[in-house]
Amino acid sequence: MAEHVVAIEADVVEAVRAAQSARAPFEIVAGRSKRNLGRAVRPGDVLDVSRVSGIVSYEPEELILTARPGTPIVEIAAALSAKGQRLGFDPPDWGPLLGAPAGSGTIGGAIGADACGPGRVRYGAVRDQLLGFRGVNGFGDAFKAGGKVVKNVTGFDIPKLVCGAFGTLGVLTEVTLRVFPKPSRSQTIVVRHLTPAAAFALLRKVWASPLEATGLACTADNTFIRLDGEKEPLAEKIALLRSLCSGLAMEQRDDDEAVFRGIADGAAFVTALHDVWRVALAPSSAAVVVEKSGAPLWAGDWAGGLVWLATNDHQRLRAIVREAGGHAMLMRADAETRTSVDVFETEEPVRAQLTRAVKAAFDPFGLFNPGRMWDGV
Amino acid sequence: MELPQPNTEIVAHGADIITALRALVPDGVVGDPSGLAAFDGDALTAYRQKPLACVLPRNKEQVSAVLEFSAAHNIPIVPRGAGTSLSGGALPRADGILLSLTRMNRIVEIDLANRCVVAEPGVTNLAITRAVEHAGFYYAPDPSSQIACTIGGNVAENSGGLHCLKYGLTTNNLLGVELILPGGAQVRLGGKAAQACGLDLLGVVAGSEGLLGVVVEATLRLLPRPPVTRTLLAAFGAVPDAGQCVADIIAAGLVPAAMEFMDRRCVAAVEAYSAPGYPSEAEGVLIIDADGLKAEVDDAIARIGAIARRNGADVREATDENDRARLWAGRKAAFPAMGRLAPDMLCMDGTIPRRALPQVLARMSEMADEYRLGFCNVFHAGDGNLHPLIIFDVMKNDELARAEAFGADILRLCVEVGGVLTGEHGVGLEKRDLMPTMFSEADLAQQQRLKCAFDGGGLLNPGKVFPILSACVEQGHMHVRSGRLPFANLPRF
Repeated sequence: MAEHVVAIEADVVEAVRAAQSARAPFEIVAGRSKRNLGRAVRPGDVLDVSRVSGIVSYEPEELILTARPGTPIVEIAAALSAKGQRLGFDPPDWGPLLGAPAGSGTIGGAIGADACGPGRVRYGAVRDQLLGFRGVNGFGDAFKAGGKVVKNVTGFDIPKLVCGAFGTLGVLTEVTLRVFPKPSRSQTIVVRHLTPAAAFALLRKVWASPLEATGLACTADNTFIRLDGEKEPLAEKIALLRSLCSGLAMEQRDDDEAVFRGIADGAAFVTALHDVWRVALAPSSAAVVVEKSGAPLWAGDWAGGLVWLATNDHQRLRAIVREAGGHAMLMRADAETRTSVDVFETEEPVRAQLTRAVKAAFDPFGLFNPGRMWDGV
Repeated sequence: MELPQPNTEIVAHGADIITALRALVPDGVVGDPSGLAAFDGDALTAYRQKPLACVLPRNKEQVSAVLEFSAAHNIPIVPRGAGTSLSGGALPRADGILLSLTRMNRIVEIDLANRCVVAEPGVTNLAITRAVEHAGFYYAPDPSSQIACTIGGNVAENSGGLHCLKYGLTTNNLLGVELILPGGAQVRLGGKAAQACGLDLLGVVAGSEGLLGVVVEATLRLLPRPPVTRTLLAAFGAVPDAGQCVADIIAAGLVPAAMEFMDRRCVAAVEAYSAPGYPSEAEGVLIIDADGLKAEVDDAIARIGAIARRNGADVREATDENDRARLWAGRKAAFPAMGRLAPDMLCMDGTIPRRALPQVLARMSEMADEYRLGFCNVFHAGDGNLHPLIIFDVMKNDELARAEAFGADILRLCVEVGGVLTGEHGVGLEKRDLMPTMFSEADLAQQQRLKCAFDGGGLLNPGKVFPILSACVEQGHMHVRSGRLPFANLPRF
């Protein structure tokens, strides 16, 4: 195959069947913005699905969009924006962080990496919004799972499984997503110079209130809270926030989307000298992890449910995160590092066996992105 | 639908199996016929079957021991919570062990700082909210059976409720589970961290209808209680106007906390039953909740009211909390109100794209005439989830068969217009044979391979969800592409 470009599902079926006969695994690419994410395993052959692209249907009144996986995120965002809607999970752009051009990510890539931005704290993750898909499994069979309606429990929820599977279970050919109305107004409130403990405590306080904040993030210098709504409701929310933050100096800005986008994209880490980590945590342990890690550069999102850190001390970080009950993903490191250490947390034996059984249920010949998550997965 | 022919070899060893189970779960095994009568079915009331034995474990270790025993002797297991499934998901097998989790009913941890609760599977849905409401929190999924149904059952069925459009189903409010796999091994999936690590196995366990493992602990997300809720009642002279109203509300960017539709038949039945004060001349009514902060709710109610009036509705707002409760009591009484009209009832559960509502309602009326059966429609309008209630009398010659055929036709219609077979009740036994109307052979084969990855022996809840049980070869690694073999020793039901 070497590098094979496909345009329709039938091409994908043909390519997978050929790879199966030749026992020739391949890497799945489209926008190529996340090629350096995950373990650094390159099987040699490449299946390029960037031309399996385009919006298939978009029904604003149903809050549902169906697109092919190679569709650029920017194209989908523009189509939704024209109808006053948006993707709820706020897909980040990790291109620059991972050495690729900005704006090159596709919807299929965002699904494969379960890549979520600040809105996750309010609207949920990619996995909460992928309603159904079509794809090709390792037997070379085209199949579908899920549906095209928001409420569906018919059969196993395989759409959840392909979110964050890094393309190891199949090649997507069509995806159906739930979308959300875009708020008419947004305001960002900034509180300066809090310690990590105070910053995360404030974010959790807002998170536990009925304010329904759509952004709860912080850096070493600033704490950011984003609130949405119509004019009067938004004013009410800001007044309530002020009472929650009593005694703290607040700065109010019109929607400062760039701040939240920057945190989601890991923009501050693009020039970092250390390896970059993305750590998922119970929010109450975020401050402890930041402080104990001693990382020179960090950022928090999702009220502390997510922490970005720059550090080369892998063992120490893994130990701190394990103690906190979270899990760390090595987000950026050179290829050699991403081959020699686990990018994802090592799974305990029962879980690891289950992961491999599930992988084999979709891809028994190990054709798709082999080794991208763990050896053999 | 026919119930299974039991495996006579297993049934013949019934007494030995009961003795062995008593050694594993002392004081927690029901084996006598009169005791088992209490466990002979769920809320799909037309089907009854006593299990070989019912086991009521008190802890994870006992669940693990029972699953190990089942695997060693090839005995099917049917997990059960409160038995409120409307799709027959907890219907026992004559040759199987019914594993009831209701004695594992402790709330293990309340962690308000991380907005979550850790609970055993037998805790009821409502008990979660009761345990945290003092602090201003609640658990959002609210199936109508919430006073009785358990968290374990909610996870198995991916239960919904009235508030799904805004707050999601169980799967969107579930952070983690501890699962016992066939054979007895224990595995933890997810936890208090929002983002799972590795493959999202938690995502497929939610809604897997007891086919993949037995949930022995669940970590659930809590939400802050919105301080204000207001309720509108909109009465329409024509069903398409109600459908257009729903579409316009969604298109305006409004997300009501609940938006329920009832048709004329349902309104009449409810009025006769509990007189909640619905306008009886209406062809359909919508009950709409907006929740949140005060200004937000005021704004939403004003806009929703205007949209409803623009679509020809007669709109009134609940005057106070009592009136609000009364309006909702009517909706919640749809079941008993219809149940009063006939001895038996089937509650269907398809989802359709909202735009197809008028077409689907019209076609259902024609079908009801064809099948000569009474029915009414309640509908979670916000997310397109239909609940036609079909009334019949199982004692009258062919009424059960006609009711089932009518129900199946409704679900086929849902699929035909772009919807799905079940929005929140699950496939279970009830819709099992309809799976091929929605899924191709390749689709079903992929789902069954996933089943095999968890349960290679096919021991967990066999006979539910999938119309044909195909053999798992080499622990699910290989699919028998041609001549798929039904399990030789597993009767299909």
